[in-house]
Amino acid sequence: MTLQMTKTQKLLRIMGNNMVPILFLVICAFGIPLSGYSANFLASEIVIRISRNSFLIVSLLIPILAGMGLNFGMTLGAMAGQIGLILISDWGIVGIPGIILAMIISTPISVLLGWWCGKILNMARGREMVTSYIIGFFMNGIYQLVVLYGMGAVIPVRSNALLLPRGYGIRNTVNLIGIRRALDDLLLIRLFGIPIPLATLLVITVLCLFILWFKKTKLGQDMRAVGQDMEVARAAGIKVEHTRIISIVISTVFAGYGMILYLQNIGTLNTYNSHMQIGMFSVAALLVGGASVSKANIRNVFLGVILFHLMFIISPMAGKNLIGQAQLGEYFRVFVSYGVITISLVLYEVRKKRDQHYVGLQLAADQEALQ
Amino acid sequence: MKLALTRTFWFRFVAILIILVFAVVLFFIGKQHTVLIDNKTVTVGGQEIRALQLVEIQIDNKDPLELAARDRDKEDVTGQKHSVTVIYTDSNWEEYTIERTFEVPLMQEMVLLSIPTLVANPEADQSLWLENYEPPTYAVTAADREEEVIIDDLSVLLTDI
Repeated sequence: MTLQMTKTQKLLRIMGNNMVPILFLVICAFGIPLSGYSANFLASEIVIRISRNSFLIVSLLIPILAGMGLNFGMTLGAMAGQIGLILISDWGIVGIPGIILAMIISTPISVLLGWWCGKILNMARGREMVTSYIIGFFMNGIYQLVVLYGMGAVIPVRSNALLLPRGYGIRNTVNLIGIRRALDDLLLIRLFGIPIPLATLLVITVLCLFILWFKKTKLGQDMRAVGQDMEVARAAGIKVEHTRIISIVISTVFAGYGMILYLQNIGTLNTYNSHMQIGMFSVAALLVGGASVSKANIRNVFLGVILFHLMFIISPMAGKNLIGQAQLGEYFRVFVSYGVITISLVLYEVRKKRDQHYVGLQLAADQEALQ
Repeated sequence: MKLALTRTFWFRFVAILIILVFAVVLFFIGKQHTVLIDNKTVTVGGQEIRALQLVEIQIDNKDPLELAARDRDKEDVTGQKHSVTVIYTDSNWEEYTIERTFEVPLMQEMVLLSIPTLVANPEADQSLWLENYEPPTYAVTAADREEEVIIDDLSVLLTDI
């Protein structure tokens, strides 16, 4: 016997499950008329944001599959990507070869950091998200040490455009003019006046296909099993710890590539800040797309990018038109990013408790029917 | 720890080797160089070679550049091997075209291509008309002022208040 729910209860349940996307739809519905932007402008901005951010957000999917939650440790990969970009800028490697070379340089660094992060997360089972968040902060210190004191002094960097006046350490901003929009402009078409970077979208599509394929492989199935129940997976002969480490390594490597694609679109590397912001914004975008700590798919990625970045685009102008201060929109972005992560985590716990309650009710109803 | 020379090990080893070779190839083909194209009167071996009144230069398949006497322009190129096409007219308005290829040293950022020397010696070795160029010291010397390093991730917001 199944417990019957009324239509209102069903509707409330659907709304509860999609609270964050609905909230963002409402914000955007109010914000778009306030901003005064045309549909064409918004569409072209959204296309740019999709090509810029999707790769980074897709990199978060595999740890979720393995039950490790949202990988805030993706900042480690972002740092590796940035190191690759700094080195190719110094060597003067430009265009697509520059992007690929930066990816090749970032790969071993990402693998090493991901493996190390995975090891620590295995020790902190059940608290992966907060641990990965703190690992990000810790590694940021090491990154600063390497970039601020090691580059130019220990790691050879010749370019004066990169080095601080004192002769070592990298400047606050690195101009990526050599690779700026190199991939985006490789196959750029215009549809109704909206520029569409086909090459970048193709790379993102390949990654999405890889994720879909990966889920069907033995390793993907192992990750799913580990994500559902570690003890059952262990009993089934799956190397749980090893599988979890691999999921973090893959995520970190993809985050490094994603950061390189992100920065080739921006054209400027904010040496000491870019990677810190990107982790939070990527996680927030995925959650806005309707993902949760334990469940996420590619649909959530794209819905999240569209809704989250639509809010990003309209909020400064909406803030300006509302109270005459564009700065309000800037604060709104940061506030909403942290806020949405908080709401999602709270909702995840509420939903989990509600589902447990529902299962209890179902069990009670079944027992009553048997008597 | 004993290294197990299994088939998987060799596959991984070869894969890493291929990636490394690919990285080196990318370095060679992606390295950017600046070619300074110079149309100034020069003295080569004690002999003065006068600048051309008007000359059209094309490096690889890039847009042609037109240089008058005493002009200097630049072209950014990637890779080491390039071609240069020089089109000029003599005093009888007869048009001449010179096509040459040249190779830029891998780690050289800038080279200077002297058009008058190339036109005067079209068959000569590239070392005669192409020389390595180091930018003047004042152009690359860093400013005295120490740059403040900002490592706060909310600094973008705070500095604008």
